[in-house]
Amino acid sequence: MRFITATVLGLVTSSLAAATNLTTPSRLALPADFKPPQVFKNTNLVRNTNLEKGYVRETINVVVENVDKQPQSDYYIPFPDEVFERVGGFEVRDKKAADKGRFVVDTTEAVSVGGQQYFIAHFPEPLAPKSQITLGISYAVLNSLSPRPAFIQQNDKQYLTYTFSAYTPSAYQTITQKTKVKFPSTNVPEYTTTSDLKSGADPERKGATYTYGPYDTAKVSPGTEYPITVRYEFTNPVVTVNLLERDLEVSHWGGNLATEDRYWLRNNGSELSSQFSRVDWTFSSYQRAPTSAVREITYPLKPGSVDPYFIDDIGNVSTSRYRPGNGKSNGLLELKPRYPIFGGWNYSFKVGWNNDLSAFLRQAAGQDSWVLKVPFIQGPKSDEGVQYERVVVRVILPEGAHNVRFQTVEGIASNGLPGANQIHARLSSLKTYMDTLGRTTLTLEVDSITDEARDAQLIVTYDHSFMDALRKPLTFFGGLLSVFVAVWFIGNIDVSIKKR
Amino acid sequence: MAEFSLDVLLKGNSGKNTRGLLRIIILLTIAAAAVASRLFSVIRFESIIHEFDPWFNFRATKYLVQNGFYSFWDWFDDRTWHPLGRVTGGTLYPGLMVTSGVIYHILRFLTIPVDIRNVCVLLAPGFSGLTALAMYLLTREMSHSPSAGLLAAAFMGITPGYISRSVAGSYDNEAIAIFLLVFTFFLWIKAVKNGSIMWGALTALFYGYMVSAWGGYVFITNLIPLHVFVLLCMGRYSSRLYISYTTWYALGTLGSMQIPFVGFLPIRNSDHMSALGVFGLLQLVAFAEFVRAFLHGKQFQKLLTSMVLLTFGLGFTGLIILSVSGVIAPWSGRFYSLWDTGYAKIHIPIIASVSEHQPTAWPAFFFDLNFLIWLFPAGVFICFQNLKDEHVFVIIYAVLASYFAGVMVRLMLTLTPIVCVAAALAASTILDSFLVMSKPTPETQAKANADKSKAFSSTRNPVVGIYSYFSKAVVTGSLIIYLLMFVAHCTWVTSNAYSSPSVVLASRLPDGSQHIIDDYREAYYWLRQNTEDNAKIMSWWDYGYQIGGMADRPTLVDNNTWNNTHIATVGKAMSSREEVSYPILRQHDVDYVLVVFGGLLGYSGDDLNKFLWMVRIAEGIWPDEVKERDFFTARGEYRVDDGATPTMKNSLMYKMSYYNYNSLFPAGQAVDRVRGVRLPAESPTLNTLEEAFTSENWIIRIFKVKDLDNFGRDHSNAVAFDKGLKRKRATKKKGPRVLRTE
Repeated sequence: MRFITATVLGLVTSSLAAATNLTTPSRLALPADFKPPQVFKNTNLVRNTNLEKGYVRETINVVVENVDKQPQSDYYIPFPDEVFERVGGFEVRDKKAADKGRFVVDTTEAVSVGGQQYFIAHFPEPLAPKSQITLGISYAVLNSLSPRPAFIQQNDKQYLTYTFSAYTPSAYQTITQKTKVKFPSTNVPEYTTTSDLKSGADPERKGATYTYGPYDTAKVSPGTEYPITVRYEFTNPVVTVNLLERDLEVSHWGGNLATEDRYWLRNNGSELSSQFSRVDWTFSSYQRAPTSAVREITYPLKPGSVDPYFIDDIGNVSTSRYRPGNGKSNGLLELKPRYPIFGGWNYSFKVGWNNDLSAFLRQAAGQDSWVLKVPFIQGPKSDEGVQYERVVVRVILPEGAHNVRFQTVEGIASNGLPGANQIHARLSSLKTYMDTLGRTTLTLEVDSITDEARDAQLIVTYDHSFMDALRKPLTFFGGLLSVFVAVWFIGNIDVSIKKR
Repeated sequence: MAEFSLDVLLKGNSGKNTRGLLRIIILLTIAAAAVASRLFSVIRFESIIHEFDPWFNFRATKYLVQNGFYSFWDWFDDRTWHPLGRVTGGTLYPGLMVTSGVIYHILRFLTIPVDIRNVCVLLAPGFSGLTALAMYLLTREMSHSPSAGLLAAAFMGITPGYISRSVAGSYDNEAIAIFLLVFTFFLWIKAVKNGSIMWGALTALFYGYMVSAWGGYVFITNLIPLHVFVLLCMGRYSSRLYISYTTWYALGTLGSMQIPFVGFLPIRNSDHMSALGVFGLLQLVAFAEFVRAFLHGKQFQKLLTSMVLLTFGLGFTGLIILSVSGVIAPWSGRFYSLWDTGYAKIHIPIIASVSEHQPTAWPAFFFDLNFLIWLFPAGVFICFQNLKDEHVFVIIYAVLASYFAGVMVRLMLTLTPIVCVAAALAASTILDSFLVMSKPTPETQAKANADKSKAFSSTRNPVVGIYSYFSKAVVTGSLIIYLLMFVAHCTWVTSNAYSSPSVVLASRLPDGSQHIIDDYREAYYWLRQNTEDNAKIMSWWDYGYQIGGMADRPTLVDNNTWNNTHIATVGKAMSSREEVSYPILRQHDVDYVLVVFGGLLGYSGDDLNKFLWMVRIAEGIWPDEVKERDFFTARGEYRVDDGATPTMKNSLMYKMSYYNYNSLFPAGQAVDRVRGVRLPAESPTLNTLEEAFTSENWIIRIFKVKDLDNFGRDHSNAVAFDKGLKRKRATKKKGPRVLRTE
């Protein structure tokens, strides 16, 4: 009986102790007339906008100077209300000391309807007056590219448009700034040319890179916009995952890590102006012509992945192939959806596989403490990129695991995930396969990330003792014993109505 | 020493235990073999629901599991038979769904995370294991030989006649019904033998379960009264019979009336009248037996004659009056078609159009039953030799089921159990006679000789037996060879004929590897993912259940063919000109039309091959508008090439099947591989429909019904206008206006 109470207590204490690590992101409420205090000045700002993928990837390098008399540590980064929710993987670093990791970033509620929302980057140490810091701000904006024309023929090229402001939105005065836009190809039929912002041609074109600026914006008040629209060829699908549910199930007895990813996928490219024609598709498939439809999904798996499956709501999809990796190279799962996914079409499916647990799990020396290191998401790898609107990762730990903590691995470069305080985390218990207590389940929810997070690693530590591991066999033993006793007892009852 | 230890095991009390244990192990092995032999399709393909009807049962089961029993009971399904809908809860046999629902909930209670689909797929194999056990019990009642029961169980476990309806994934009513059928008969025999109310009540209970599970319960409803009736005619009335029959009839009828779909049928429908009649007859006979004890022979004779005449007259007139006034429903069409095989084709083409309602071909008996079919008469003959009440039952069952199996292919299923019983009786008799090792001892021989000398020849009791080892070896050896061939045959038939899901087609690539043709699911999944949730799909009724199950979209007609007119409407829309069809499509809110076309792949089960049934069914309702004759050429040929009749060429089905098909081929080379003909050089033109989706191998083609023209023109004018100007049709109907930025 002792071990049961021990584990119950363990579970209770772990959920009590959860406050230290498992968080629910909260947003700061701001007063309706809030304006960020004008304590900084952007001396120089360079924005790199990358349009090579199906989402917008922006990196802003900005030299910030404290113009206040007090040391300041909160830097506000504004986004319009409707864009804010689609900003993913937001990260701010000190450009000069990138290896020190990202700054803590908070988010705010909308100030008013249609107003601005802010990311607040907290400097690790306040910036002294008159001194400067170089910030590297990087993020992705999802669903900001719209196909134009919105309806195309099946074999036509697809074009996307992107609208942004020539002046990088900032809460502070900016002295000089410029924007570099990188297109996937040199085929850019339309782009705005500015006339009065600077002397000389604007933008400057160099291959597939267009540079707007540099502009001298010392006199332009923060928040001024100068809309610029570009339209460029992107004959690739705009793969959007509306929801990804990912289950990682750890089995100590089986020595197995089972992974299942459930996708709700959509192509946000141009829709077909007339209906789908199989004849045209057959011919263009023979020629391997570029297409705006998803023809195939390649899905790299870790070395040693076995038993992959690819199913959807109505059963196995037979058009898949698995090339297992040899030794240390990745395996490759080649998935062909049941039908080509054209713009506006949906496809939902599941893939799953098994791995040897020993490659992912390590026991802390001499203790009942375990460390699990798994990829946060894996997902398809493609040139056109994948954007995830919502990702729910469940790590199902063995029954009785307690004292659960998690962290994401940070490197010098961005890992594609938002800061740990932006990840929704909660513990629950999942009863399956004759569990008595239920398995401890860590659920992590993230909104708006991109396939850059493919390399992100998730580390989960938990305690799990030998007695916890024995729970299942003992339950079995007890269950069967009680069945036998019950049968013996019932068999001994005399229910006959004969006279004795 | 070894002999001694064997003796301990085989003789006396422990010998009994050993044999009991051995029997249990054999039975469990048989059950395991029965389950295992049904898993070909799961191993070869996947855990998938097969064919057509199972898809409905699966969908209904999912509904039951998700919404609970009571809302399942009251389920009105507005996603089928648009716009009529279907009172599904009241028009199905819920036994199958409730069984798998209960299994599902038990497993979930034990926290085993099983998918309802897997419960449904594996239900039929699981129950076939139980059927084998039930078969053992039933046959044991017929014979003293323990081997008969085991043989019957083994036969039942693997005979193709039963496997055809119970492979994994064949989630149909028959999956559990055959077990219930056999088990109910076992309980009935037990009841008749013992005259026990308990066994009678159990019979009624399982009869009720059977009623809830399969429309074939009528077979039991008529077979048991027939058994009793025959026993009465043979003068075998006994209180045992009275007790068991009255218990079964009273409780069983009440139980069966609890099923909404059955309701008051047991007292109103002609199919059930024999049970009621025998019930009344049994009361009279019992009364007569009772009176006989108090009266003289002559008086009793008079009383009996007058009573019989009176009852018969009253009963007959009553039946006629009730039938004419409509209180008792007339015999159903399917029932008539049991007696007259040509009836359905003339009066109800919809029944005749189903392949499993066709008369059975002779080879099918051998195909489905192998050597059992020639052991079967021998077994029935053995029953005559030792004619007890239960043997009468076997004989009646054998005669009736043989007839029915000859009329309809699917009724081979009801024949199979009794063939297994009879064949097992015959085989076990052979084995019991030839496998006995002992020789008569000199004493018995001497005794027999002594008898011979002093008694009449008629009372002599000579020692009869087979003592030659050679004949023993030959007979048992050949029987064993037959048994082995039976196993090989069953495996081969199961693997080759009965294990295809028919949703998924398999073919072989040149290198011998398996290639899966998955067009059905491709198209259904496209519908499911990329059309509006309540887009109405019109297709021939064969695909209704699959569309409901896999595409999850409302359909006009499906395999529950309850409304012939509605099906005829669809048939008319398919077989008429576009100008006639389009209003029909609009009136029924049809968004998409789905046709099955096998021309590219050579898939012969396509809609053009079923087309004549559509025409016939439509002609049954609109004889003036649709005429089968018009689809045949002057020489009476059914052609789709250049020689096709204008009616054929203008029919919607023809146009949809071949629309744009020739652009796959070099000019003038388009070939239909099913019908093996070269097609006309030009593609048919479609004005009111547009191609929406075609699957990879062109098996499924989906067409979207065009909306009304924006300028109020009819579609042929609009299309002609567009073509005349050599301009592509602007898409005006879909989506927001697009800003031109060129």
